[in-house]
Amino acid sequence: MSVENMKFLIVDDFSTMRRIIRNILKEIGYANADEAEDGQVALSKLKSSPFDFVVSDINMPNMNGFQLLQQIRADDSLRTIPVLMVTAEARKEDIVTAAQSGASGYIVKPFTKATLEEKVQKILQKVGK
Amino acid sequence: MNREGGMGNEEGDLYVNVGRLTRQLHDALRELGYDVKLENAVGSLPDARNRLSYVSRLTGQAAEKVLNGVDRTKAELQHLTDGATEMAAALRADPVGAVASGRMMGFLDEVGASASRADTQLTEIMLAQDFHDLTGQVIRKVVTLAQGLEAQLVQLLVQTRAHEAAAARAAEPVRAEPVRVEPVRAEPVRTEALAGPAVMTAGRTDVVSGQAQVDELLESLGF
Repeated sequence: MSVENMKFLIVDDFSTMRRIIRNILKEIGYANADEAEDGQVALSKLKSSPFDFVVSDINMPNMNGFQLLQQIRADDSLRTIPVLMVTAEARKEDIVTAAQSGASGYIVKPFTKATLEEKVQKILQKVGK
Repeated sequence: MNREGGMGNEEGDLYVNVGRLTRQLHDALRELGYDVKLENAVGSLPDARNRLSYVSRLTGQAAEKVLNGVDRTKAELQHLTDGATEMAAALRADPVGAVASGRMMGFLDEVGASASRADTQLTEIMLAQDFHDLTGQVIRKVVTLAQGLEAQLVQLLVQTRAHEAAAARAAEPVRAEPVRVEPVRAEPVRTEALAGPAVMTAGRTDVVSGQAQVDELLESLGF
């Protein structure tokens, strides 16, 4: 699959942040993206159509980012999808938990366009896409 | 007080009763666990104050970023407008010369570069809107804190009123029964498990202060 056609899922309970991430992804060449307002909606979308990359917040209602990450890694059909956490959670223990739970990367908010671009590229290189 | 400056029996009883009621109220508060609860509630106020200061700081920074971005973008647009006016005049005066001298090409290059700079500023303006997410999370926590505080104060009020009524009945000439108050389980002010944005990072070692520290930590974990 060409990079331009890769499908991203942006998970964040704040529509402003979803829009910001979506716009940046578009600017750096990834225009194909869908959104979910929490982990539960994201999981349902992930199970109903294929996605190549998940960008997820952590602190969300219903199902938080850690729970979503665990569900993705526990599901055989989803476990290989890269999951980049983009969150305001700045505690070291949260970063360690994310890493140990299988996050592909971790960005702390507020972030720059360059940071998001760098992390997405790095993860894609790592998974060979 | 009577004319000689002493207290009459009735007045003296009144002061004794008020003193007793105050004592009972104090004891009841302690018995109910409200002394601890009030202490907790008061203890949570500096946290709310810090969070609100963070909101104020972040919204101020976002406004600055947006205004700076708008200033720079407007300057770029003015630069383009001036260039276009000059170019139009040059083309009207000597169309061939304007193109042959490379002035036209130079202007077109400048249009591209200026548009790119304006685009960078617009991206900055867009990114500045992240304050909505960050402050929203903090405000949610303050609202939760205020709700907890409100609930505790209402509980305190209800219990105190019940206690006052019972105490007033007890103060009647009939033999006063000790006031019975049901202890209420002390609920801590509710806080969410996740910390949200790091409001105060100075002097803290449990939080990162930026992306560089996140990368460092992940690298140390083998990422």
